[in-house]
Amino acid sequence: MSSETPAPSYFDATLRAYEERLAKALAMGGPAKLSRRKEAGVLNARERIAYLCDPGTFIESGLFGTSGTFPADRDKTPADGKIAGFGKINQREAGLVANDFTVMGSSSGATNGRKIGHMKRVATQRGIPLVFLGESSGARMPDTMGARGMGSLLGNDGMQYQRMREIPWASATLGLSYGSSSWYAALSDFSVMRKGAVLAVSSPLLASLAIGEKVDPEELGGWRLHSEVTGLADMVVDTDEQALDAIKVFLSYLPSHHNEAPPVRAVPAGSGEGMRDIVNLLPPSRTQVYDVRKVVRTLVDKDSFFELKPRFGKVGVTGLARLDGRTVGILANNPLVKGGALDTDACEKFTSFLVLCDSFNIPIVMFVDTPGFVIGTDAERKRAPGKIMNMMNALSLMTVPKLSVILRKTYGQAYLNMGGGRNSDEVAAWPTAEISFMDSRFAVRVVHGLEPGEAGFDEALAQMDRENEVWDAASIFAVQSVIRPHETRDYLIRMLEVHQSRLTKEVGQHLMRAWPTSF
Amino acid sequence: MARLEAKTDVTGSVWKITTVVGQTLAPGDTVMLIESMKMEIPVIAEDGGTIKEFRFAEGESITEGEVVAILEG
Repeated sequence: MSSETPAPSYFDATLRAYEERLAKALAMGGPAKLSRRKEAGVLNARERIAYLCDPGTFIESGLFGTSGTFPADRDKTPADGKIAGFGKINQREAGLVANDFTVMGSSSGATNGRKIGHMKRVATQRGIPLVFLGESSGARMPDTMGARGMGSLLGNDGMQYQRMREIPWASATLGLSYGSSSWYAALSDFSVMRKGAVLAVSSPLLASLAIGEKVDPEELGGWRLHSEVTGLADMVVDTDEQALDAIKVFLSYLPSHHNEAPPVRAVPAGSGEGMRDIVNLLPPSRTQVYDVRKVVRTLVDKDSFFELKPRFGKVGVTGLARLDGRTVGILANNPLVKGGALDTDACEKFTSFLVLCDSFNIPIVMFVDTPGFVIGTDAERKRAPGKIMNMMNALSLMTVPKLSVILRKTYGQAYLNMGGGRNSDEVAAWPTAEISFMDSRFAVRVVHGLEPGEAGFDEALAQMDRENEVWDAASIFAVQSVIRPHETRDYLIRMLEVHQSRLTKEVGQHLMRAWPTSF
Repeated sequence: MARLEAKTDVTGSVWKITTVVGQTLAPGDTVMLIESMKMEIPVIAEDGGTIKEFRFAEGESITEGEVVAILEG
């Protein structure tokens, strides 16, 4: 926008008054609070916006909004504590809401609630992603107190927490986040958290009052809890800048809205250069494990693997990547953890990732090496049948292309959950693949009643191992292709090309767009 | 220096301790190998650190979630 000095006019006094109001609105919570943040190495809300957006592209909506509940608060609430507007992130339009904690703890009030509602409406109608930079003390008090406060402040927007995934939502938790900024993190497609931030329903003080014991903020909602136990954080970083960079990278894989295909990037030099040795990433013995992420990183475009929830449900690996410049969603079993046996956390993680990919027209590729599901009393208490079937149902409802590659073993129901049979558009297998209902060392005991060391055990085991080899599945077309490991990247690129959804211009049906993903 | 715990993801027995007290590990390095489900499954030092003590010896049984080693990092 032009920053030229205007010509003198009859309205100079009015325009001077405008400049004074503008300076006040931009002053946020005042120099003392802002300098305390600077000393702590934390960006303020406007610095965060400036870092996230391409220079000169941010245009604000609601700059002169203030609290309207109590007249005395009007001068103390620049932008009403939540800065909203539109900016370009890597040349692509986005909507932004940045909470300004220096203004009444960025608490939720009537005016800033209207600003957020406006951002959501515009972003959804115009098809641009929405970014929430969260840091909030929760609902503003005493504004929300009493029956009149509740009636006038909360619940007046019936769409406030509705998620239909017409557009991607990304969220960063960058400080103490209670109430609405936690809700938006939970509803987002991508949630990054800075170490030291806290994401919870309400503050440790309120929680302490409620349960009558001292509550530690980190225990209540710190990064370890949300990256390792709840899975509400897709990524954890050390600084504000890293969190904002992560949002830029996440959005680079996604379309701006659900009615278009994801953007295509140039293929980086060196992509696929490790393919010659890829089979050697598998250990020689089937009793040894390996990190499937090395296989994934070798296969996809160089440095393009963007892992999500790396510390949660670690037996499953999920992440966005590119193959030949095109966005793909990667799901893989990781034998490094629990031998790759799928647990309930991994099922949840896979399910939410399938919802993300299907909602935004991202084809998926599954890499399979799993002995099955973790079973036992603990798994049943964690509702294993429900989690397994949620994932299976999600996979069945997907209308984006889905490919699977069996690297080593795949047994039982997990074979289906990882795309076996007609649960993928194409199933490929390495010659190292084994397919069966269960591991043959257990199956010999069940089928033949033989224990290791007993006469006939070794012969029965060898026979079963032979029957588990991939060739029988290929001969009846249950596996469509058996491929040389070093040709897997070329196979996937070509097969994704074949399966492009041409009839709908690569746009799926989004049958899960309203599914909850942090259930 | 923070006190860090390395925990086992699986129930099984300690098959081989592949590190020594005082050894400094990078994030993602293996602390020891557990035998479980007929496989050798590593206990990973997620955040790296220097090993201060082991809580189990080779051959001992362990349960999912137990701390097998204390690190400082």
